[in-house]
Amino acid sequence: MKGIMIMLLEEIKKAVREGEEDKVKELVDQALAQQIQPRDVLEQAMMPAMQEIGEMFSRNEAFISELLCAAEAMNAGINILKPHFTGAIRNKGRIILGTVEGDIHTIGKNLVKICLESAGYEVLDIGENIKAQDFVKAYLKEKPDILGMSALLSSTAIFMEDVIREVRAADKSARIIVGGAPVTQAFADKIGASGYAANAFDSVQLVNNLLTRHN
Amino acid sequence: MTKMTGKERMLTALACGQPDRVPVWELAFNEESIIKIARLFTDDVPPVKLVHEMDLDERIKLLDTLYMVARKLELDGLTSIHLFNTQIIDSEHIRDDWGRIYFVGKEGESIPIQGPVSEPADLKNLKIIHPPEQEFMMLMLSRERLGKDVAHVFHISGPFRESWAMLGSIEKLLYFYKKKPGLARDLARIGTDYVLESVNKAADLGADIIAIVSDLAFNQSTMMSPAHYEEFLYPYHVEINALIHKRGMKVIKHSDGNLWPIIDRLVESGFDGIHPIQPQCMNISEVKSKYQGRCCLLGNIDCEHLLPFGSEDEVDAAVKETIAAAAPGGGYIISSSNTIHPGCKGENYLAMVKAARKYGSYPIQISG
Repeated sequence: MKGIMIMLLEEIKKAVREGEEDKVKELVDQALAQQIQPRDVLEQAMMPAMQEIGEMFSRNEAFISELLCAAEAMNAGINILKPHFTGAIRNKGRIILGTVEGDIHTIGKNLVKICLESAGYEVLDIGENIKAQDFVKAYLKEKPDILGMSALLSSTAIFMEDVIREVRAADKSARIIVGGAPVTQAFADKIGASGYAANAFDSVQLVNNLLTRHN
Repeated sequence: MTKMTGKERMLTALACGQPDRVPVWELAFNEESIIKIARLFTDDVPPVKLVHEMDLDERIKLLDTLYMVARKLELDGLTSIHLFNTQIIDSEHIRDDWGRIYFVGKEGESIPIQGPVSEPADLKNLKIIHPPEQEFMMLMLSRERLGKDVAHVFHISGPFRESWAMLGSIEKLLYFYKKKPGLARDLARIGTDYVLESVNKAADLGADIIAIVSDLAFNQSTMMSPAHYEEFLYPYHVEINALIHKRGMKVIKHSDGNLWPIIDRLVESGFDGIHPIQPQCMNISEVKSKYQGRCCLLGNIDCEHLLPFGSEDEVDAAVKETIAAAAPGGGYIISSSNTIHPGCKGENYLAMVKAARKYGSYPIQISG
């Protein structure tokens, strides 16, 4: 039995990593039929698979296509697992993500979302071209553990400072992270962000660190 | 050395040769940037408005303002862009003839957010659009106003952008590279055919250089794997570049980001120049040492931080350093690391051009 479990989990891991959505569905069904715990399928197969593809992405050994397909395969598996969980599947923390006003570039934000969800965080994507007051509204409504902002243009990255100021006026201990092509650690420090990640994969470590430090 | 015209300088550099001085050119200026720079010379400037909101007279007034700047600064080349035939949907959205919907940012950049295709069956009903002559209005006017001594660069979206614009999302196209390769190839074909038609029209209207402008990379790496580049873009780039050369023009590939994973193949596909060698992710000295004599380099003057927030002295120092690294032996055209967007200070752009003239005479003599 243990041998079958190990074999099935390995196969799920490989299928997620390779973005084989239909195969993941089939294997997750098989795993549940074999009485393998849903939490084990999630934490011993699917999450490590995304961790691996994320690491490969950060080493330029995998690219956006691979990451998107792996995330889709994982989501297909999660949909099968969902009814077997009593609470939220992604329960490590709640993150709001949005792209700042004037900027509708989506890729960076979407990759961060994939990486954070794959690591067990619940992500509320509030979209692109988000004004400071709308970040504040979403923050007050959703009460996330962390608010994340993305920008691709240097002319829009400057709005991050306004968002930080307005969100902190509502909650002075708000943890706010920033990223995007024109953003640097020095810029993040200058505008008072709680953290900066250079790429989507690093954002997971950043969030882990911020929440560990806090809890 | 005999004094060259701007066009001779640009074409010499793109042939990896050494002109009399480093050519100065930009991929684009936004509406607000043109006005901001023009104000340093005159008060007679049009009001700030995005091009899709302007009527014909206002567009011509804006372009004449740009030509005045080009003459004052003796720019060696000027880029003309497609002035798309678009309908205004609301204050932030426009639609083109393909039915693609764009979000228009405050600085004028239009980004496709919705396309007419979402699955292979949609291709059957897709109405193929041919580039109408009016989209080449800027090229015609630039030739008329600036004459033949300036290199006329025409800005065309490449097969990558044309493909993802049909879907309204880069991610969808990258996903289809893996999941629906047939659809991705069909879109590349449609996009390439449109590009080829545009190339022929631009050649007929007197363009000297074509700039193929879709971004293929971001700071970390290329968006697509080298294998996907090989399958979905390389053959189309070869086809486009062959036509451009056959029509007697040179071709520049513009892409932000870290192009290292595919740069060999970009050069092999026939691009004469690579722009903008973004300083945040590519070291121009390294690119120069690898491609000297094989490919012209363009750009590298930082427009993310330096041109918007730096001082004129810092701009002077960066230009000096970049010319020392990239210009010796020829094959370098100076420009910003993307475009002169509204965030750039007009004074800093002028400082960049001034420094290019100060340090850019051949043979390059810059010490320490």
